[in-house]
Amino acid sequence: MRTEASGATVTPFRGLTAFLWTEVLVQAHENLAMATSMVVQGVLLVFVWILDPALIGVALLGAILFSMFAMGQRVLNESAYIRIDHKANDLYLAGPLSPEAYFFGISAGILLVYLTPVAILGVLAAVVIHPSLAVTALLVVLAATVWLFAASIGYVFSTFFRDNRAIWAYASLFFNIFGVLPPVFYPFDKFPEALRPVALLMPPSAAAALVQHAIGATALSGGQVALAVGGLAVEAVTVFLFAIYWARRTVQGV
Amino acid sequence: MTGEALRSDRLRKVYTTKGSPPVEALAGVSMEVHRGERVALLGRNGAGKTTFLRIASTLLRPTSGSIEVFGFDVAKTPERARPFIAVVPQEGKPFFHLTPREQVYTYLRARGLPRETAKARTEESLERMGLLDFADRLAITLSGGQRQRTMVATVIATEAPLLFLDEPSIGMDPFARRDVWESLRNLTRRGSTILLTTHYLDEAEALSDRLYIIERGEVLVSGTSDDLKRSVGGTLKVSLPGGAAAVERFRSFGSCVADGEHLTVIVAPERLSEIMDLAVRSRLTATVGPVTLEEAFLRVVGRSIDED
Repeated sequence: MRTEASGATVTPFRGLTAFLWTEVLVQAHENLAMATSMVVQGVLLVFVWILDPALIGVALLGAILFSMFAMGQRVLNESAYIRIDHKANDLYLAGPLSPEAYFFGISAGILLVYLTPVAILGVLAAVVIHPSLAVTALLVVLAATVWLFAASIGYVFSTFFRDNRAIWAYASLFFNIFGVLPPVFYPFDKFPEALRPVALLMPPSAAAALVQHAIGATALSGGQVALAVGGLAVEAVTVFLFAIYWARRTVQGV
Repeated sequence: MTGEALRSDRLRKVYTTKGSPPVEALAGVSMEVHRGERVALLGRNGAGKTTFLRIASTLLRPTSGSIEVFGFDVAKTPERARPFIAVVPQEGKPFFHLTPREQVYTYLRARGLPRETAKARTEESLERMGLLDFADRLAITLSGGQRQRTMVATVIATEAPLLFLDEPSIGMDPFARRDVWESLRNLTRRGSTILLTTHYLDEAEALSDRLYIIERGEVLVSGTSDDLKRSVGGTLKVSLPGGAAAVERFRSFGSCVADGEHLTVIVAPERLSEIMDLAVRSRLTATVGPVTLEEAFLRVVGRSIDED
């Protein structure tokens, strides 16, 4: 019998690289979407530039973190679309590709393609604020953590919808409320004091506060740093692990 | 890999939705598909075919009963069964922003095939499905039939031991359908097993070694297409234009269906001369032809509906 040399079972993350590459190919055919992914960030940067040019460095860092967070919305849209419209989950998951590889492949494929515009923001930020190596490393770690959280929550949310039209409103609402409203594009200390703990528990604003603190644009207390770091780590890891569990669980229906 | 390609025992599936009464999609389906067989699952819309296929292909949990693929319990250890299966989902579409060549190749790679094998099988499958002329066009620019061919090409290229195809040739032209049939025959010659659903009964007849008819979540009939035809009283049909008024005279020969003034009678070959005599004596013109699977299907399922 001429069959593939498949192993005896589907192991975790089996097929990840190949499926990730599939998603990269799919996304890479949409050049315009890559450009338009920067529209919200671009508009907000222009607003900040007009209102207070001194804050453009903070806003650029915020734009990077927001871009990573907004990838969650793309994961949500893409995974819902290919499940509802294309039945791609049936095609891929009724086979040796692991559910984890399916979820993470979509997420990482989108990340790889949409990193290009983020890298441009990174270059602009480097020109404006001249970050140290430590700040750069911190920014990379924070951006990765925000992405992990957003991609995981985006994938989990995508499984709850049966109709793409219903997704548009909710996805945009969720990602704009958590990504634009809190202090991501502006300094953390301009946010109402009573609401700051809430902002520190939201991954994009927690990451923004930490990086602003690192470049001296805002001053966080030890407790605030701990809350932001702890919250971010716990939320990202918890949501990621849940997404893995959920990816496995939902192969055979919710 | 041991056991039958597929075996289900009293498989039940009840869908429950808040605010709606439960719907029993499968009411205890037992069936076997032997290795190397091509088996068709037939039934009306909503009969339970797709539900069965989704459970068998590890995409849905059964409510009760058991189902095994090559000896692996599909409900309890789906990860053991998955390496051996591939599925053409109902109404599935290829990625619109991939070309058929990219779609087939990347799918094979995601299933773990080595590069060279994946490349060779991609080309072979595209050729078999008549897709070489469109192989480098984005799927979004292809017609519905070409997209469906891409889906089938993607799955047959796996040469998986067990393939599930849910209405694989839907939307295809007659030439493309015959390409699919030939590809599927070729796959079973190489050792794969195929379970498909279809509403094209000529396809079921041309392609399947055996078939199961499902009605309201239960197996109504199983066997070869000839078995099914015999089960309706014969393998020949006698058409009698203007014979509807004389239906009572012909009832003893077998199943009679009156359509306006036209009467069709299903008869066993050994009673053909007898019914022809009666037609002549009744001054009716009679034409004889073989019973098609579609006619047998309509009678079997129709009889079941009438009994209910």
